[in-house]
Amino acid sequence: GIPIRTTLDNSTTVQYAGLLHQLIMKARSTVRDIDPQNDLTFLRIRSKKHEIMVAPDKEYLLIVIQNPCE
Amino acid sequence: MADFRVRQGSGASSGSQRRASIISGIYANRAASCRSQSTTSDGKAVDRGSLAGNKYAIRVFDEEGKDVTPHPLFHSDPNTVVPRRTYGSSSTSISNASTTESILDEIVEPGSRGDTTVSLSDVQVRQEEIKEELTKADLDRRVDLYLTETETVWILDMPSVVVSVESEDAGRVLERNRIYVDICTNRPGNDRFVEKMMQTINGAAKNKEVQCDKIIMEDKGMMVTSWDLYDLFHISEIEPTSKAEGSRTTTGKSSKSHTTKEHDRTMSVSSDRGSPTSSTMILESAVLARIHEEEECHSEAVLTSENFQQDLFFMERILMENIFQPKLAAYRQFPVLTDPDVTSDTSGTVTAMKEAKQEKHDKEKKDKEEQKEAFIDPSILSGLNKTPEEIVPPRLERLWSYVCDLTNGHSVSSMVWSKVNPDLLAVGYGAFDFKEQKKGLACCWSLKNPMWPERIFQCEHGVTALDFSMASPNLLAVGMYNGSVAIYDVRSCNDAALLDSSESSNKHTGPVWQLRWVEQDRGATGDGKKERLICISADGRITEWLIQKRLDCTDLIKIKRTESEKKKLPGEKERKSEALISQQAAGMCFDFHPKDTNFYLAGTEEGHIHQCSCSCNEQFLKTYRGHKGPVYKVAWNPFSTDMFLSCSADWSIILWHQDSQTPILTFSSATAFVHDIMWSPKSAFIFAAANESRVEIWDLSVSTLNPVISLFANPRVKFTSVLFAKNTDCLLVGDSKGEVSVFELQNLAAPNSNKVDTLRDVIGPAVAI
Repeated sequence: GIPIRTTLDNSTTVQYAGLLHQLIMKARSTVRDIDPQNDLTFLRIRSKKHEIMVAPDKEYLLIVIQNPCE
Repeated sequence: MADFRVRQGSGASSGSQRRASIISGIYANRAASCRSQSTTSDGKAVDRGSLAGNKYAIRVFDEEGKDVTPHPLFHSDPNTVVPRRTYGSSSTSISNASTTESILDEIVEPGSRGDTTVSLSDVQVRQEEIKEELTKADLDRRVDLYLTETETVWILDMPSVVVSVESEDAGRVLERNRIYVDICTNRPGNDRFVEKMMQTINGAAKNKEVQCDKIIMEDKGMMVTSWDLYDLFHISEIEPTSKAEGSRTTTGKSSKSHTTKEHDRTMSVSSDRGSPTSSTMILESAVLARIHEEEECHSEAVLTSENFQQDLFFMERILMENIFQPKLAAYRQFPVLTDPDVTSDTSGTVTAMKEAKQEKHDKEKKDKEEQKEAFIDPSILSGLNKTPEEIVPPRLERLWSYVCDLTNGHSVSSMVWSKVNPDLLAVGYGAFDFKEQKKGLACCWSLKNPMWPERIFQCEHGVTALDFSMASPNLLAVGMYNGSVAIYDVRSCNDAALLDSSESSNKHTGPVWQLRWVEQDRGATGDGKKERLICISADGRITEWLIQKRLDCTDLIKIKRTESEKKKLPGEKERKSEALISQQAAGMCFDFHPKDTNFYLAGTEEGHIHQCSCSCNEQFLKTYRGHKGPVYKVAWNPFSTDMFLSCSADWSIILWHQDSQTPILTFSSATAFVHDIMWSPKSAFIFAAANESRVEIWDLSVSTLNPVISLFANPRVKFTSVLFAKNTDCLLVGDSKGEVSVFELQNLAAPNSNKVDTLRDVIGPAVAI
């Protein structure tokens, strides 16, 4: 996909966008396979260094990367 | 085509030669094209030129070899041909789709009679009809066309080679078969059969190569999932709505600014929180657009679409939850979860829980140093790390504070919880002093987002009082410094007030210092519990506001100035009564009795507290004198309902009993105005007070001389209001910088709800009645 607005540098943005796009497709497919009337609304991935939160929609993906404050 | 007989030479009927040629013409034509037309005689029409041409190419020879190709009998005459042609052409056009049989049918024109083969008869008829001359009348005349069925024409007749055993010929056929078999068996050595070979001419073979385009093969794979199928079935429903969304490319400016504001906010999150937290945001469009303009429009549409706003909203809340998770957990009195993986320093992760706890304590220590909080017992710091067997003194722990750029600089004047949602807080911002007046603000904060208020209502004047309604919990009444009262609907994000009292003729002329929705039994009118909006203001009136189309009020009572009792000093002459500038005293606060809502207390600027009744609006029932300065707040004890507390600018807090007109207990601990007090909703003994520089928690069961907890503020900041949280042990403190801090009360004496009326007992010994 094409980034519309970003606060990171371009290469990182593109990388995140591409990889997360595929992941969202997979996650959405999983959710809907179980129940076709269901749909994915939010995805959170917690890792050692960050937390990645993705809000998918039909037309766009909203991705937020947060450093935990602990 | 089996039945055509080409008759040559002399025929049975006249015009046989013609017929011959005609028939051959037919045959040739039929052979030539499948769209065969039966011909008339020769050269009839232009579109039959082909036929004529065909005909001319064919030459008929009879037995003697003479060329008997007939000449055309009929020379086309334009006048007469025309009608004929139309007939003919119509028949040709119709016959396109029909079979050969029907062609013959249509050509049959009135008066056709054929005795020989069908085609011949047709042709003959047409020939005769050529000679007719048609008049104009004839053209318009209705022509009847008779369609008759002709005899069956055999086109292909393959007689069967199979004969039934039971038929008559069976015997003969069998006999023939047998003879044939015999012949075959006799053939090899028979004299009657001679083998002879023939050489046929082989035509010259020719190789022809043809090249075709490369056949491109493509493999395509598809995975069909159950939701794919589901989508396909529902695509018709989804289509029109998505089109409607797509066409919405422009939206209002407010939503756009909201987007940018949120964007800014998230940016400010990263800058405010500094190193610990930084959140970065990527926004991506998953739509590939072919045209560049379309792409721009589309990204605009995406950024301003409602879905996006909502997603941003959720995302923000989740971010907040992440950031504030330990604090919120403490608020809710859950055990605090710590992330075992995340450690700020590179120490080992053995017993992660303990370590995290240690870190938390370290952080708290830092916090404390920043806040310059001084505890009564400095050994608390070390006491935290000890095992909990020791009694830890009560303390306030700061969790977080509701503050944002917008509220910075506005002094907090009042705070109130929503009646239905215990996590929703309304805060009014406005200065108390006349000199510091600026535009006021009323904000609704939610627990889920401590960094930005959910609703912001800008007001013309400083907000001095707030209250949520109980009957319709979405209404927020706001009292302002100029005496007007406005009612906002919290459900909408609209900045405009639902109702405003500016047009009311009876409105207050002084600041509205307190405002409350009171539920009352209106026994007289027969209604059940009815809710009234009551305010007290500096112009000395307590008014009840009626919510109709416009906000209007009626007076409950006017506070008259009462003279203070002065002891006459010896030697003084009798003085005349004081010349009063105004008959009314400014009211500062009021509180309705928790059990009997007919009674209420009103505190005035002159230091008197009057007990009044709703039913009597001329006189006070009682007057409590004790304060020497304006009474800022009165509060009935929610448990022991005949005692109440009042605080004033004379640096003191006084506990009264409603029957005695002199104070029961006086609490003074600092030389500062006491702006606000509030009883704890959990215990009859605990109340909080906000001095200017400190927040104090008093526990009367422990000590009546000193506060149990005393929290100091930053030097530049004054505490102006306190609020207890109903569902948890937390205290909210508002200050003059616009910050509402949330503190957790820890280790206070657990309230015992059985002892309700023991406040009297507790303070009994200390009272000198």
